[in-house]
Amino acid sequence: MTRPISRRAALAGLGLAAASAGCLGRTENIAGRDPHEQLTLEINTTPADGDPNGIRIARQFEEHLTAVGIDVRLNTVGQTDLWRKVLVNQNFDLYVGQFVETEPFDSDALYGLTHSQFVAEPGWQNPFGFTEIAVDDLLERQRRATGTDRSDAVDALQETVCDRQPFSVVAFPDALTAVRGDRFDGWTQDRQPVSVTGLLGLDAVPDADGSDGSGDGNATDGNATVDAADADEEGGAALQLVTTDARITENWNPIAAEYRKYGTFTGLLYDPLVRTDDRSTVPWLAADWERPGANTLDVALRDARWHDGEPVTASDVAFTYRFLRDTSLGSVETSVPTPRFRGRSSLVEDERVLDDSTVRLTVPDVNETVAARALQVPILPEHVWSERTDAATIAGFELDFETTEAVVSNNADPVGSGPLRFVEATAGESVVFERNPDHFLVRPAPGADSDSSGETADPRAGIPPRYHGKPAFDRIRVEVLPSDISAVESVAGGLADATVSNLGPESVPRIGRSDDTRLVSGQSAAFYHVGYNARRSPLSNPRFRAVIARLIDKSAIVDNTFDGYAQAAASPLAASPDAVPESLAWTDGTDPVHPFFDDGGSLDVEAAREALRDIGYRFDDEGRLLSRGQ
Amino acid sequence: MTPFLSVLTSVVAWVGAMLAVASLAVIGPARLRETWSGLRDRIWDARRAVALVCVVLLASAVGRPPLLDVSKLFGIQATALIYGLEGGFVAWVQATFASPALTAYFSRVYVYGYAFLLAFPPVAYLTSPRPADLRRLLVAYALNYGIGLVLYTLVFAHGPRNVMPDMVTPLLFTNQPDVILLASEVNENSNVFPSLHTSLSVTVGTFAVLTRDEYPLWTPVAVPLSLSVVVATMYLGIHWLTDVVAGFALAFGCVALAYRFVDPRDDAAESGDTGDGGRSGSKIDASA
Repeated sequence: MTRPISRRAALAGLGLAAASAGCLGRTENIAGRDPHEQLTLEINTTPADGDPNGIRIARQFEEHLTAVGIDVRLNTVGQTDLWRKVLVNQNFDLYVGQFVETEPFDSDALYGLTHSQFVAEPGWQNPFGFTEIAVDDLLERQRRATGTDRSDAVDALQETVCDRQPFSVVAFPDALTAVRGDRFDGWTQDRQPVSVTGLLGLDAVPDADGSDGSGDGNATDGNATVDAADADEEGGAALQLVTTDARITENWNPIAAEYRKYGTFTGLLYDPLVRTDDRSTVPWLAADWERPGANTLDVALRDARWHDGEPVTASDVAFTYRFLRDTSLGSVETSVPTPRFRGRSSLVEDERVLDDSTVRLTVPDVNETVAARALQVPILPEHVWSERTDAATIAGFELDFETTEAVVSNNADPVGSGPLRFVEATAGESVVFERNPDHFLVRPAPGADSDSSGETADPRAGIPPRYHGKPAFDRIRVEVLPSDISAVESVAGGLADATVSNLGPESVPRIGRSDDTRLVSGQSAAFYHVGYNARRSPLSNPRFRAVIARLIDKSAIVDNTFDGYAQAAASPLAASPDAVPESLAWTDGTDPVHPFFDDGGSLDVEAAREALRDIGYRFDDEGRLLSRGQ
Repeated sequence: MTPFLSVLTSVVAWVGAMLAVASLAVIGPARLRETWSGLRDRIWDARRAVALVCVVLLASAVGRPPLLDVSKLFGIQATALIYGLEGGFVAWVQATFASPALTAYFSRVYVYGYAFLLAFPPVAYLTSPRPADLRRLLVAYALNYGIGLVLYTLVFAHGPRNVMPDMVTPLLFTNQPDVILLASEVNENSNVFPSLHTSLSVTVGTFAVLTRDEYPLWTPVAVPLSLSVVVATMYLGIHWLTDVVAGFALAFGCVALAYRFVDPRDDAAESGDTGDGGRSGSKIDASA
């Protein structure tokens, strides 16, 4: 840092001397050149209290970037602030974070994440500012194509995205959760245990407050045997959860990108039309849907009510899609699209109410899988959200934020139609939800109790039987604790039933020390990744991104940071079954596309520098990577 | 809340016991008895300083959450700066010195020792023949908290355990997980600069040195204990060296300001004249 300045000063001195000597032209030509400076990059992530894993990935990356001669600033900010910085203000170089979906997702999730049409929008849509025509084309193709044609497109899409590296996939974590089985059972092992379907799948342990002995045995295989109606009667219990993430105690806005992690609780407040469950799509708020034409999708709604008693109608559904496309509904000059669910909602181009409970969506020329994804957005009540379409103001002043009330609202006292409804919250401390007794999951069938007969009569036709009569708890209380260690201690001490937020390697061994507490884990699709801001030089250079991606030692991260509770991967679709082509499969411990510069377990600094030199970067004599002043 | 209450009870009980022992040993039963009779005058004498401390503590309790939001949005994001400045110093401290015995010692010092360290001087100086000692101490406490709150708002930073979890173990929390509940109740994890543990301990240590002729037994207790608290903040991975240095600066600044603001002239004049009784007595009459 000192060298360019002293050189500049020297030049100034020389300039004076030279000017008096009468050869100004040449000196001007030299002094007019800006000197090169060391490249500075800032890594943003959350502190260990918020997420014990992300910061460890960031630390390794920081060490390796520093080793090759980059000046790195490692910055920790709170969870809301991180996403505000990255997703809303797009004011970052690099960040380490997690993807937002925990269930294995379809390749169309990459549409929102990487399509260049979203480059100017704040939110989870293309936060990287990534623009690649080849990727755009493949994203469009995988929406239209079917069969092997589609898998070819998906393969090519993954290969191109991996090659260009708008972000580097690091690892798919196992969603580690400490649970107690004495009051609720059925904690799932094959996905994130605390997820919408995971929580709805829980069973109350019979005789939870009485004799424990017999109850435990029954509940272990209770998933199938405990009758839905029984669980219904059983209720009365409160599910106690602990988290380190205070956001759910402050904000219940399903489209506020900076306040949502996976959207688990807002997903229970707001019903989507369909849900993914065990790799299949099941009708949820929609009783049924069909495609009368290649471009249309007719959705018939179940009989449902909002938490405030108003009926859920087709016009609410039509409103939701119109609203997600532009939360201002045309009242602000440029449209303000939703910062979450943008990829999905972009599928619907038009909507028409056919009758009170049927809506026709225009979904131009997409395959079945992608069309179903369009139905996975939360349905919002028109009578609440139509009031929030004005430009956001502070104390009555409209500032040039290009945003609407809907996006910045905390959505206090949320009105959804989901199986849970809001009760109360103390910001930063706790939040309480209760079971919605009016939800179609708990409403008994009018006629017989068999599931197969009377499709239209049964209010929960098409919904897997294990969700009938659920949730199995009357209330759910989420308490905020300062760290993963205290969260685990709280479960071990019998004060809570399960942890929600991520657990780090120091807290996991504590789970085993208590008899009633066990570790449940399922692979999560919410992959950890390093995101690059492709709007900024030199991160705008795909070759540069490809080289620094090779500074990440994914295997070491899985071994050390995650203690083995994660799978390293190259493709963002690695958790999705049969989605990853041979060329991107993670084999023999190295990345198939951007292998770590490995020198017997540590970074091969010289090889990394050589790779940077090969693509045109230069170093000074002290080994600092040079760039133009930023 | 049960674990939280149990930790709180344990801290209160231990500190109470330590206070009792220290009062007898350092102040002595005779002076305690003597003070007891004139307690009301002495408290009345320090009323403004007491009020100041109360106001600052109240402002801190009420103002912290909104100020934290201000800090998040507009504060200087200093984590990268501090980390870039000192790197792995705290990690080195842990790697070099950490042992189970020291961890147990520093964990206790950080919680129990610190609470005792802050609680004893007000009791001791209440018995002091120089009433200005108590007023100065309380003013210094208030300044520490007040300036600390301003700096917390201006500077947003996380401590080493949050930034280098791979190298710095959160020793306090892994060894006494209950304590984390208490600590988080009192402090946000983004309030690390400056270290108020350091500044308040050093304030107490400095006062102990300045009043050593009056309380000769307190000085050799207070100074090592306050330095232990200082080391504990880093050893336990909670604070950076930078926070500690700033804490020292804040402490010395607050002590100097307290000496400047609180003028002992009144006491000197009064005690030179008729002794303590006269003036205080008239005051009580006036207030009664």
